[in-house]
Amino acid sequence: MSYREKIAWLSLIAMAVAYGPYFMFVARGPGPWEPLPHLHPLGLFALVSIVRMLILGAGYLYLRLGSPREERPPLDERDRAIEHRSLSAAYYVLIAGMILVGCLMPFSSTGWTIVNAAIFWIVAAEVVHYGVVVASYRVQASS
Amino acid sequence: MMQGSISNRIRTLRFMNGEMSQAELGQRIGLTRQTIAAIEAGKYSPSLEAAFRIAQVFNVPLGEVFQWDVKATPLKAS
Repeated sequence: MSYREKIAWLSLIAMAVAYGPYFMFVARGPGPWEPLPHLHPLGLFALVSIVRMLILGAGYLYLRLGSPREERPPLDERDRAIEHRSLSAAYYVLIAGMILVGCLMPFSSTGWTIVNAAIFWIVAAEVVHYGVVVASYRVQASS
Repeated sequence: MMQGSISNRIRTLRFMNGEMSQAELGQRIGLTRQTIAAIEAGKYSPSLEAAFRIAQVFNVPLGEVFQWDVKATPLKAS
């Protein structure tokens, strides 16, 4: 497995570990014990972001120390083609999500529901981005 | 549209050039070892520039490295 594929896996894992529980938590809606409705989701989102950064930081460090310099070559034309393909796919997911969140949801929802929907589509676009990267490297792996 | 696929003789040419490694070939033309492996396996088609570079390393014409295998398409009944 190439260094770039490992990085893509790491990003996917960090996303799943951080945002999976977050969306499960916010999906149940605000509880009656929450006197400040904005404070709880904001704090939770901050915590999730910190967790994701910690996972990414530790993972990058581990992968960098575990891979000699020759295993981390600069991007070549195949890497760039994969990056281009994955970003194109993620762009369509993001645009679809933003149309939904920005143009349709304001007629039926308010506040944190819209914010969380926007975060969801950003995360979904990132998952598609790294997912396409991983899938492309897997498909093109010779053995 | 004409149907076909690209095949290549990179593995053979590497063997004929002193069992050159994929990493060495990649280093000489600015590609990673994984990309050379993907090209050899026919899972990635290189750019025209990279293809010419590969041919240049082996000192052979491009057609000796890459071949276009045309698939026979059945004729449509009119």
